Amino acid sequence: MIEVKGLTKTLPNGRKLLNGIDFTVKKGEFVGILGPSGAGKTLTLRCLNGLLKPDEGSVLVEDEHGEKHDICQSSKKQLRHVRERIGVIFQGYHLVKRLSVLENVMIGRLGQISTIRSLVYGFTDKEAEEALLALEKVKMAHLAQNRTGSLSGGEMQRVAIARAIFQSPTLLLADEPISNLDPSNAKVIMKLIRPLSENIPVVGVFHQPEMTAKYCTRVIAIKDGQVVYDGDPKLSNKTLEDIYGEELAQMEQYEHAIPTPEIVRI
Amino acid sequence: MSTVDIIMPSKRYKQKATIFMVSAIVILIACIYLNFNPIMIFTEFHYVRDLLGEMFMPNYQILYENTSTGISILQTLSMAFLGTLYGGLIAFVLAFLAATNTMPYKAVRIITQVFVSMLRVIPALVVVLVFVIAVGPGSFSGVLTLVIVTIGSFAKLFTEIIENVESGPGEAIFSVGASRLQMIRYSIIPQIMPSFIANLLYAFDVNMRAAIGLGIFGGGGIGFQLQMAKSVLHYKDVTALITIIIILVILVEKLSDYLRKRILGEGKLG
Repeated sequence: MIEVKGLTKTLPNGRKLLNGIDFTVKKGEFVGILGPSGAGKTLTLRCLNGLLKPDEGSVLVEDEHGEKHDICQSSKKQLRHVRERIGVIFQGYHLVKRLSVLENVMIGRLGQISTIRSLVYGFTDKEAEEALLALEKVKMAHLAQNRTGSLSGGEMQRVAIARAIFQSPTLLLADEPISNLDPSNAKVIMKLIRPLSENIPVVGVFHQPEMTAKYCTRVIAIKDGQVVYDGDPKLSNKTLEDIYGEELAQMEQYEHAIPTPEIVRI
Repeated sequence: MSTVDIIMPSKRYKQKATIFMVSAIVILIACIYLNFNPIMIFTEFHYVRDLLGEMFMPNYQILYENTSTGISILQTLSMAFLGTLYGGLIAFVLAFLAATNTMPYKAVRIITQVFVSMLRVIPALVVVLVFVIAVGPGSFSGVLTLVIVTIGSFAKLFTEIIENVESGPGEAIFSVGASRLQMIRYSIIPQIMPSFIANLLYAFDVNMRAAIGLGIFGGGGIGFQLQMAKSVLHYKDVTALITIIIILVILVEKLSDYLRKRILGEGKLG
């Protein structure tokens, strides 16, 4: 379970990026965060694992023993301990391209093993076997020995999911995991993420309302740093307009500005 | 009239003509000041002809008459190798202390950067003279000089390579609770290793040539042999040594080029 209370973040010039974000996600839920560009979706997500410190508010996350930690008040050491069990999937995959696929999956446990061992010896054979199992879950085991840089975008995101699975996380965060992918790869990724939410809370930021309607169990919409919708993933046209109103209007403006191309006959 | 201001071609031409005139005048003044007269090469050509006559044919007997030439070639090669190895390793460590993404403490970064700049501003020939005075002439002075020169020229380059790696993987590694050392080991080192090794091969190539030059100033090796042959006026030996040096330099350059291309090329993991 993850509890987010009263997150605020203000720029030095007084502009409020986050203005009191509250929500709770329980195990079994796959929450999709929607909202127009610059609304604070990614910012909120980055607060959930401490990559960003909010000005005020708290984020309570359970570790593997069920103990609750406030990420916003944690010391560096505590924060590292909590992060061991928070899986994160990024839009840009964030894999080390020079390492093999298997090594990239094993990186998921770096926080859980001792620094000395990871620097001198590396990973154990048992860990390699478990990482291979994680890769099998995302159907990537056959490429385990390949250089990660040689994979396609969809394949890289599957490896990133395997890395998160290998962490045995108590919480999974996904920052626009399908924004760089084509529709069929995006569906594959959503289908892989969804079953993970049976045992742990999953929170993702998305740009595609049709995808969240299909795969998420709940949708939270953020606009101007505030939660404006929280509930059923199937949004009515009215709600969509409320969320994306300005952006839609802007897009229509552009459409009018672009002249229709004339067909030139040679 | 258009609403956008552009620089007209006629104005461009005037600018170029002015730059050309000014540089021509500066070059002329420099030549007069230094008494540099290119025509002298032709009017005084008989000196060159006489010297060339003394230099040919090269005396390649020095290669098998005694072992000193062979040993000095090996000496130069090992000077370049050790200078590159030690200098490269120290530069590698210093680069991590100077890069913003590996060293969070600004004071350490600045101290390292100042130290490296200090090494870089001293010319190699000054360094070798200092070492020759301090530890005596020979290849030990040569190696020490090459270490200093390699650190000076490569520590900054390595710092930039480290700072230019993708930050995303590092962020992902931090977000699984890893420490900074683990992030360096698993994200930065794999990313920089190929260009690090490629640059060291290049450094070996450069140091090889520098080692010959340093030899002339007391750094040992084949450069020292060259200096000896010159000072006892054995010009045919000098020619032979020069051709040997040229062949050696070309061989080392080709080898380092070949290895560099292989390392930088994308390959499958074994």
